[in-house]
Amino acid sequence: MSKATLDGKAIALEDACKEAARILSGATFPLVAGLGADVPGARAAILLAERLRGAFDHLASRDSLADLDVKRSFGMFTTTANEARVRSDVVVLLGPGLTRQWPGLLERLALEQAPRHGSQAGQPRKVIWVGPEADEAAAVPGAKIIPASLQQISGLLATWRARIGGRRVAMDATKLELVDGVAQTLKDAKFGCFVWASSIGLDPLAIEMMQALVTDLNVTTRFTGLHLGARAGAAGVVQASGWMTGFPPRTGFGRGYPEHDPWRFEASRLVDSGEADAALWISAFDGEAPAWSRKDIPLITLAPAGAAPARGLYIEVGQPGVTHDAVLMAQETGGMTLRAASAPSDAPTVAQVIDAILAHVSEVAPC
Amino acid sequence: MLTVLRGGHVVDPATGKDGVGDVWLEDGRIVAPPAGGKADREIDCAGHVVMAGAIDIHSHIAGGNVNTARLLLPELHRAIRARREGTPLSTAKWSTFETGRLYAQMGFTTVVEPAMAPHHSLQTHYELNDVPIIDKGALTVLGNDDFLLRQLRAGESESAINDYVAQTVSGTRSLGLKCINPGGCEAFKENMRAFGLDDEVPFYGLTSRKIFQALQKSTQAVGIHHPLHLHMNNLGIAGNIQTALDTIDASQGLPLHLAHVQFYAYGKEGANAFSSAAAAFAEKINAHPNVTVDVGQVMFSQTVTISSDVLKQFNSMPGGSPKKGAIFDGDANGGGIVPYAYKISNYYNAIQWAAGLELFLLINNPEQVFFTTDHPNGGPFTAYPELFALLMSAELRAEVMARLPAEVLEQTTLPSLKREYTYYEIAQMSRSGAAKLFGFTDRGTLAPGSIADVAVYKESRDKAGMFRRAAYVFKDGDLVVKDGEVSHYRRGKTLHISPRFDKNINTRLDSYYEELYGLPRGIFDVPDAALPHKDAFAEVACKV
Repeated sequence: MSKATLDGKAIALEDACKEAARILSGATFPLVAGLGADVPGARAAILLAERLRGAFDHLASRDSLADLDVKRSFGMFTTTANEARVRSDVVVLLGPGLTRQWPGLLERLALEQAPRHGSQAGQPRKVIWVGPEADEAAAVPGAKIIPASLQQISGLLATWRARIGGRRVAMDATKLELVDGVAQTLKDAKFGCFVWASSIGLDPLAIEMMQALVTDLNVTTRFTGLHLGARAGAAGVVQASGWMTGFPPRTGFGRGYPEHDPWRFEASRLVDSGEADAALWISAFDGEAPAWSRKDIPLITLAPAGAAPARGLYIEVGQPGVTHDAVLMAQETGGMTLRAASAPSDAPTVAQVIDAILAHVSEVAPC
Repeated sequence: MLTVLRGGHVVDPATGKDGVGDVWLEDGRIVAPPAGGKADREIDCAGHVVMAGAIDIHSHIAGGNVNTARLLLPELHRAIRARREGTPLSTAKWSTFETGRLYAQMGFTTVVEPAMAPHHSLQTHYELNDVPIIDKGALTVLGNDDFLLRQLRAGESESAINDYVAQTVSGTRSLGLKCINPGGCEAFKENMRAFGLDDEVPFYGLTSRKIFQALQKSTQAVGIHHPLHLHMNNLGIAGNIQTALDTIDASQGLPLHLAHVQFYAYGKEGANAFSSAAAAFAEKINAHPNVTVDVGQVMFSQTVTISSDVLKQFNSMPGGSPKKGAIFDGDANGGGIVPYAYKISNYYNAIQWAAGLELFLLINNPEQVFFTTDHPNGGPFTAYPELFALLMSAELRAEVMARLPAEVLEQTTLPSLKREYTYYEIAQMSRSGAAKLFGFTDRGTLAPGSIADVAVYKESRDKAGMFRRAAYVFKDGDLVVKDGEVSHYRRGKTLHISPRFDKNINTRLDSYYEELYGLPRGIFDVPDAALPHKDAFAEVACKV
């Protein structure tokens, strides 16, 4: 049985959905945020935002947009984890904490095994790890570890890129020898692959430097990249948002059609500035709380059991892939897949709750 | 409700009708005129052309590559107009919702997405599900996948390959098979930058010729109506007419569909070493009734090229505009997204435009040549009405030709072609022929018993305007468009086939995925439980 509360007091689910619809319909510019949901949940949430003529954002948009900003301003080479596993002869892991972003990373890439396809099949892989955390450094036996802080990665990539392009860099001879060694390894790769996650805090300029390096390397050989998606279903939400509106999250419908603006429609800014006057917060994976500081706007929270906030309206939802089957982007494949429930319960899905709210929202949109 | 469309010019090549008459609809089907029957609703169609709903056989409307293009180019699709009531997201430019609305407005009621990657088919189905009003289908891409290439390398029997093909088409819920630069995308991963019909895929020892011939045979053997849908090698390259002619020679007399052939109709004549070879191509097609083609007409506009021919797309990047692109080395084909602007002042683009029209005008049988711009590769599908108009008027073509760079006209036969398509021929291309190509027996025609998908156009000298905004469109008998405006959504079907196979292939594939990827094969599946609306699927019968 689903549980719903209003300021901590139990109310019936049906009443909670009606109340949510009343709050959101009554707002001048409502916000659908968090969006931590599976693909059907995201789809329902975006349709609700559109019906309300509000805006929507995802809680990890900062990370998704770091990658997208590079893609849409510069371009991008990518591959799947499986293609990297079977073909990559040189793998460069970029930055600390990658195994925390995706605990299955090293098992999936099977870096200790030789590639299976292509000219380097059966040959030992070369693995370079730039700035791993202390407990990650030994995770790939034989990997070349290059110590670097997160902030140094961009500069390091720039140095490699300069040397690969035959340009001079100001550096002492010992360091230069190391840099040239890596540059040569990259140039000699047959199907090299960078692995990165913007969610470790990598900024767009570092990502662009890496992709520019990949572009340079592709003049003579093959090189690509594998990016790890951000938390709370971000990759699937971006896809659904893409086909539904043409844009990623941070999109608003105030004019009756989608407008994408990463600054204007950033959830915390909308709330803290007072531009949004009601919010639906969805965080079905783990009940993460909103990052905005203002506490005085009407708030409806969809989160799993145990994550009820003390204030506002709360509707318990199931956890995607845990309490119910869920369609999500699979990091293992780079595609959507059905994740079967690991601990099924009768808690409703995000899509079910939003559909119930939507049923009480008039189609006649305010102008 | 019994509806009659009274007194329109009925154009229905499937039944040979081309004259004034009535069309009756009831309960979602076309019905015979009831004896003395009185209609509940009568629509006066005098001065209108009445056709079955159109079928687009090749348009990239869904899937990961299309979505990458959307996300890559936010600047190309800013919306400007609020949507009407009851049609959410219908003015969200380039969204799946807008796609359904715009097709419906033009009287199209069935559209096939031609490039569904097997490992990403679930997303394609999600996107297709969000294309309202119209029915959809997809073609599954094979031919650069390791499993098939291994089978061919090992010399496995045709029946083993048939099982794999049938299992893949069935499992991904598509309408048939497409093959894109066979072996070329695999070769690109091994750093080959060009790949012809008889080049060998490294480590597999197979040529493109061998791969597509095997898939062509298999398509027939497992009862797929649609011939193998082939995207040939050397797309877009000067002199590639030879590849096209050689491919037709290699077609074994078996059915073969060649996609967006305009992009292969290039010779090397003239000062720019780039000319239209469409005349020779058309002659070859006319002599090979086993071959069907769609054109991939270029229309002058800013667009984006989306293709699973990763090798070609990589090579296109230097000419892209705006300068950015996405190259995805997928498990098999992958994809490349490169923006491009076709300009009327550009010699090469003008040759492309002319070559496409030559193909339309020189291929004799309209049921052998299909109407596409390879959306969005040659231009957006919204340019179809302008293209209909060009085919129907030599005068209009001459007006455009007058604006082309002068030397273009020396390298094309277009100025000499006076043919003008009739409504009947337009309907053969976009209705009856298209239905035959997929084995649809109850659409693309107004014969009683067919699905009541009907497009009614108000006759006008402005053919583009006439086809852009249909006067009435019925989908399954439901009036969804009036005066060029969609009034409401309905959920279309996704059409698919289920060719039969020996279930042992599943066991083999299970071990293959486990051994190579260390993954359960099911992670790539499209199970009922994953589908947004499993009732929205409709099975089309295979050939017996």
